[in-house]
Amino acid sequence: MTLRVWDLAHGRSGDKGDICNIGLIARSDEAYKILCQQVTSERLQDHFGELIKGDVDRYELPNINALNFVCKGALDGGGTLSLRSDHLGKVMYTWLLRMELDDE
Amino acid sequence: MKSVKLGTGLAFWGDSLRPAIDMVERADIQYLCCDHLAELTMSILSKQKSRKPDLGYTTDIIPFLRGVLPRCHERGIKIISNSGGSNPEACAEKVIELCRELGFHGMKVATVTGDDIMDRIDDLLEEGIELANIDTGQQLSDIRDKVTQANVYIGCDGIVEALEQGADIVICGRVTDAALYLGPMRHELGWAADDWQSLGAGTGVAHCIECGGQASGGLYSGGWQDMNSLSSLGYPVTEVFENGEATLSKTPQTGGAVTVGTVSEQLVYEVLDPANYLTADVVSDVSQIKLDQVGPDQVHIHNVKGKPAPETLKVNMGYRAGFVGEAQFTYTWPDAVKKAKAGLAFLNERLEQVDFQSTHTRVEYLGHNSMWGPEVSDPPEDPELEELVVRFAARCPTKEEAQKVFTESVPLYNNGPAGASGIGTRPPIKELYGIWPCLIPRELITIKTTVTEVTA
Repeated sequence: MTLRVWDLAHGRSGDKGDICNIGLIARSDEAYKILCQQVTSERLQDHFGELIKGDVDRYELPNINALNFVCKGALDGGGTLSLRSDHLGKVMYTWLLRMELDDE
Repeated sequence: MKSVKLGTGLAFWGDSLRPAIDMVERADIQYLCCDHLAELTMSILSKQKSRKPDLGYTTDIIPFLRGVLPRCHERGIKIISNSGGSNPEACAEKVIELCRELGFHGMKVATVTGDDIMDRIDDLLEEGIELANIDTGQQLSDIRDKVTQANVYIGCDGIVEALEQGADIVICGRVTDAALYLGPMRHELGWAADDWQSLGAGTGVAHCIECGGQASGGLYSGGWQDMNSLSSLGYPVTEVFENGEATLSKTPQTGGAVTVGTVSEQLVYEVLDPANYLTADVVSDVSQIKLDQVGPDQVHIHNVKGKPAPETLKVNMGYRAGFVGEAQFTYTWPDAVKKAKAGLAFLNERLEQVDFQSTHTRVEYLGHNSMWGPEVSDPPEDPELEELVVRFAARCPTKEEAQKVFTESVPLYNNGPAGASGIGTRPPIKELYGIWPCLIPRELITIKTTVTEVTA
């Protein structure tokens, strides 16, 4: 069975200008460790490809087992200008949940 | 320990009124805090005000107050709202009229203004305040003639002042979302304006609850199947203590749930660097936040820190950025995918024939890749596909150009490849507004609070 981010975490995403932030909340302490190791900014950027045009910064919230990814240039010019149906990035996190992880 | 009990009434313009009505009936609260504004809302409101000088506020405040005010009046619950939008004075006037109509004489209605700097832009530029875009570095001169609105995100000082003067209803313009909650915290708990630790903690709590039902089970992805009665979702009811800690719960006998999971999801919503959550009042550090389930639908929030407020305040300007034209059409089996592509080619050729001008176009296949688009996943290739919906959108310099998109899609009904349907009726053309985020030194902003007593 392929391990996906969804097996280890749930999430939420939203907008701030042309930035989309994606929060992941690990389902356990163990899951958080794996996410910290494997869900790097670089890997996220590869997974989203051209959809995220700028840099991705990752922040940790260790006491609630959460990671926050700040993705710049991710909303086609920003929520008010974007031609995307998901102009506010409400479901961006679900694409991250699909990302496959290395089985350890 | 001293505490204050805050209820979340509304989380956006157009939000349901029922959670607030349930709350004022059944929850133990002293304040009902209501956020009506989003980035685009201010542009829409300023446009309305420019057409009619007594508009420019979020009109939902009137039916909202009609629903909750009788119980709030009876129970002494105060209401804090940013429904003033671009026109807090006009909003307050309508609110006063409503109080009078309901017979609530003696009620005090406050307005908080000072966030609108539209008329000061050129003076500010002359004084050397650049107002450059903090995301892109661009100079304001690039869009100066297209700016329609400029509002500073102001903090809670005006709300605190209004409450000190005995206001029952506080109507603000573009205060920060957090200020709607931090104002009553400061007023009730006696926090000083430079008590960074308490303000930081309070702001972290405010962030958890300002989006209403999103903290109490709405949108919850960690286990939506187990959420009961989402259609009767209860909004957050939060007791904030003097030491900055808080217990988040919700209106009794409502749907949804308050768990560490639901609050965690909301905590990471629309946050950039969690150690530096910037607001006008304080820099809040939620990076080490702790959440404990202390009872059914009760989460205790603690370990949030604060740092001194930034020396600059954030300004959001809105500027005219063209129009969007859209068309949508559906093809069915057999060869739905091939026909969809032929339909798109048909539309593109027709647009070329009418010398269509656009700066940006987008194609999405609904049900397949509309949420992420071609950058992430291709349209399907399955020849057995039952149906395929195509959405074509374009950003155009003028309304006339934007209208061409639908106009040139209509012939798909009769003249295009076989099996087109679902074209629909002509959609209204939407004007686009860009958001220009920039900074202004805080000493250049003066907040004004006015309190008016409702008379017969």
